[in-house]
Amino acid sequence: MLSYIVRRLLWMVLLLIVISFLTFMIFYLLPSADPAVLRAGKQPSPELIKVIREQLGLDKPWYVQYWKYLDRLAFHFDFGTSYQNQVSVKSQIFDRAPATAGLAIGGAIVWLLIGIPIGIISAVKRGKLADRLAMGGALVLISAPVYWLGLVSLYLFSKGIGVWGVFDGAGTYPNDGSNLFNSPFTVAPTLFLPWLVLAASFAAIYARFLRGNLLEVMSEDYIRTARAKGLPERTVIFRHGLRSAITPIVTILGLDLGILLGGAILTESVFNIPGIGRLAVDSIQKSDLPTIQGTVIMGAFFIILLNLLVDVLYAFLDPRVRY
Amino acid sequence: MKRSLRWAVMLGALIALVVGLTACGGSSSNSSSTNGSKAGEPTKVDLSAGKKGGKITFLAAADIDYADPGQTYYTFGFMVQQAINRPLYSFKPDDTTTPVPDLAAGPPEISADNKTITVKIRQGVKYAPPVNREVTTADVKYAFERSFSKNVPSGYAGTYFSSIEGTPAKPNTGDIKPISGITTPDKYTIVFKLKAPQAPLVSQALVMPITVPVPEEYAKPFDAKLPSTYDQYVAQTGPYMIQNDSKGKLVGRKPGKQITMVRNPNWDGKATGDYRPAYLDGVTIEEGNDQLEVASRRTLSGNGLMCCDAGSPPAQVLKSALTSNKDQIAFVPSGGTRYIALNTKVKPFDNLNVRKAVVAGFDKNALRQTRGGKLLGDIATGWLPPGIPGFEEAGGLTQGKQYDFDTKPTGDLALAKQYFAKAKAEGVPIGSNGLYNGPDKLLTIATNADPGKKTAEVAQNQFTKLGFKLQFRIVPQDTLYTKFCGVPSQKVAICPNVGWFKDFTDPQSMLDATFNGNNILQQGNVNWPQLDVPAINDAMKAAATTPVGTERNKAWAKINDMIIGQAPAIPWIWDKTALIASKDVKQVPNGYTTVQDLSFSSLK
Repeated sequence: MLSYIVRRLLWMVLLLIVISFLTFMIFYLLPSADPAVLRAGKQPSPELIKVIREQLGLDKPWYVQYWKYLDRLAFHFDFGTSYQNQVSVKSQIFDRAPATAGLAIGGAIVWLLIGIPIGIISAVKRGKLADRLAMGGALVLISAPVYWLGLVSLYLFSKGIGVWGVFDGAGTYPNDGSNLFNSPFTVAPTLFLPWLVLAASFAAIYARFLRGNLLEVMSEDYIRTARAKGLPERTVIFRHGLRSAITPIVTILGLDLGILLGGAILTESVFNIPGIGRLAVDSIQKSDLPTIQGTVIMGAFFIILLNLLVDVLYAFLDPRVRY
Repeated sequence: MKRSLRWAVMLGALIALVVGLTACGGSSSNSSSTNGSKAGEPTKVDLSAGKKGGKITFLAAADIDYADPGQTYYTFGFMVQQAINRPLYSFKPDDTTTPVPDLAAGPPEISADNKTITVKIRQGVKYAPPVNREVTTADVKYAFERSFSKNVPSGYAGTYFSSIEGTPAKPNTGDIKPISGITTPDKYTIVFKLKAPQAPLVSQALVMPITVPVPEEYAKPFDAKLPSTYDQYVAQTGPYMIQNDSKGKLVGRKPGKQITMVRNPNWDGKATGDYRPAYLDGVTIEEGNDQLEVASRRTLSGNGLMCCDAGSPPAQVLKSALTSNKDQIAFVPSGGTRYIALNTKVKPFDNLNVRKAVVAGFDKNALRQTRGGKLLGDIATGWLPPGIPGFEEAGGLTQGKQYDFDTKPTGDLALAKQYFAKAKAEGVPIGSNGLYNGPDKLLTIATNADPGKKTAEVAQNQFTKLGFKLQFRIVPQDTLYTKFCGVPSQKVAICPNVGWFKDFTDPQSMLDATFNGNNILQQGNVNWPQLDVPAINDAMKAAATTPVGTERNKAWAKINDMIIGQAPAIPWIWDKTALIASKDVKQVPNGYTTVQDLSFSSLK
């Protein structure tokens, strides 16, 4: 197991280097805008553009720029300085990571709390009204874009602008350094609506996924044996059926969480939560290459890390799996 | 599965119904008035005393460009500078044409030969902590010098102040070097000596934030870095200050998140002749509100809020608000012109009659609808917008009356055909239907974001109606400027999403960069039509030295006429910005910055 983890960690490093290289090349060769011209104001003279290009190090060949970047990253864990506001990218990412983590982890808990029971009920009540209602609703939620759902939920349920002002709305997430982990009672209310919106489609997907898995498992021989032995139906479902059916959920949960920890871009944008996703959007809009790279690498890091954790966890959940 | 689908459709319909009802909450009427003005007309600025105390939150989409006064160059940055710093001159909210002395003690004294400007500053103006000392003219001198250095690249120093003696042609490298043309005979006097008789323009440009004092002994360590880090340690002289720590670091500025402004304890408005009343105890700028509709609705229904830095609220919110929240809206002219640039160096727009035909045939009203219609702007007929000196001399809202092709806002196809016929005689391919019939697809670069995208699509339809075939590409707005329209070598034929807004209220600043052939640059070009007419260039050179006043306005109005006659572009709107605030906020729009003035706004 240990050698497997070490091997995977080495792969992770290699993968991050490849991702950083690809990101660099995309924005170096195909930048959406020239960062130097963008920063030179409305009437940029060629001299001014040249000066800014030198300031940002953009006058150097691409491989020199990339090597410097890699050197800083690998040996000093330094993502560089933002072109836009001259603040360290690392400090910006660390400053915003708790908001994204709070949103993603809270959202995951909500979608598991909603998705798993619905999936079980749908499987157990297959073909009945409850199943149809649940699966119909799931279809709608899967089809609804997060962006649209976020705006609709704001106009319906947020205090101030909603028809029914139940939850805190956009812009209520505190900017004073509070986060879900150091001030849970202050921050949690501001995240209820984003959690629900973020969880909506995931819960629907998980419910459908679990329902399918559970239905398949419940037709296995060992379940028939359990029933034949006279075990209560609840025990059959929860102890024997659900345990097998839920294992694949762990895999997709790991992946989903990894993606979201890299920035829940749409939810953060709609609700103005200052997380990594918002930072990524802002940096792309401003052609702020160091920040773009920082957010992409952080996103990739979380995806790879969570993948690894899931694989390790799998060995504990499923005794058949060995590394 | 079919039943599931039915449920899904029903649920979707229910949601759509609720959303529809929510969105349609307001009437579409736009006939009411606001703050005593008719809807859409510039709001009369109310400078009566406001309530002292309290705090306001301003909802912004993005961060300011810079806090460093030597580098900031955009409206939102100017709004913050206006509250935290004192330039030599600035504009009171209710008068955008005549600057008033701010740090300066009186109007600039201009020598008879237009080559020397002398300014005296007020005594007793102090920097906020941690600098805490009195401002002297040496600080203003240093502010200029650093802006000509490599470490502090200013976006406009070279454009408006390069006529000062001793300014380098290229930004200085290494240490910040003295500029010989700026002298300080005493602590309260500064003299600018010019190479050319450019005092009219330079004196008007003294409202720019480059004139904000910078204490050399404090700023030097920051300015020694490349780029300067002074942006994070700005010394402040205004009634407010971005919260800082004992070292001066602006801890109240969290880029992309928030700016916290508190009162400057060293500011004494009465003693130092500051015209700003500064009613509020503090202002917080909440960033990240790029959902303009959400931010607008929050502002209208909330408390202690003002909005927005990213343009007017969406038209539907505005129309609804005009019915039910009319006192919460103010309109202010943006001081700029939006236009569709026709590249005069690219066929067939190198032909004057083709350009006249296009201007004649275009429905400007249809274009205006894409930005909210009449409510949010007048149809532009020339290049000097309302609020800019020379506007009245140029003919006000009906500029270029002598040119028949610029008179019908909804377009005149018959007239367009007449000009196409003239072009045909000059060898331009015109079809039997009287419209353009050239084979080439004209490269058109449009923005990918609304409302600009909608404008470009309407323009595309109109060009097609006139017979043009377009190679229509949509790109992000920044890409549009930095990679296409601002780069002549790209040979972009049509740029439908360009516009020019005032830096300060002088007609030269509106026309020189944008239509003077001598200002065409190979990169970052803003003379988008690449108009290069010697007679116009010469007229600009002569008008530049005309003293501020009626004669100057007339001279530039005449140049405006000459430009209209060349039909280098289709001007279509002189914007108005709609500003909104919560019910408990008395917002005071500033005609210069075109956003709310934080030093005049207050709680009710």
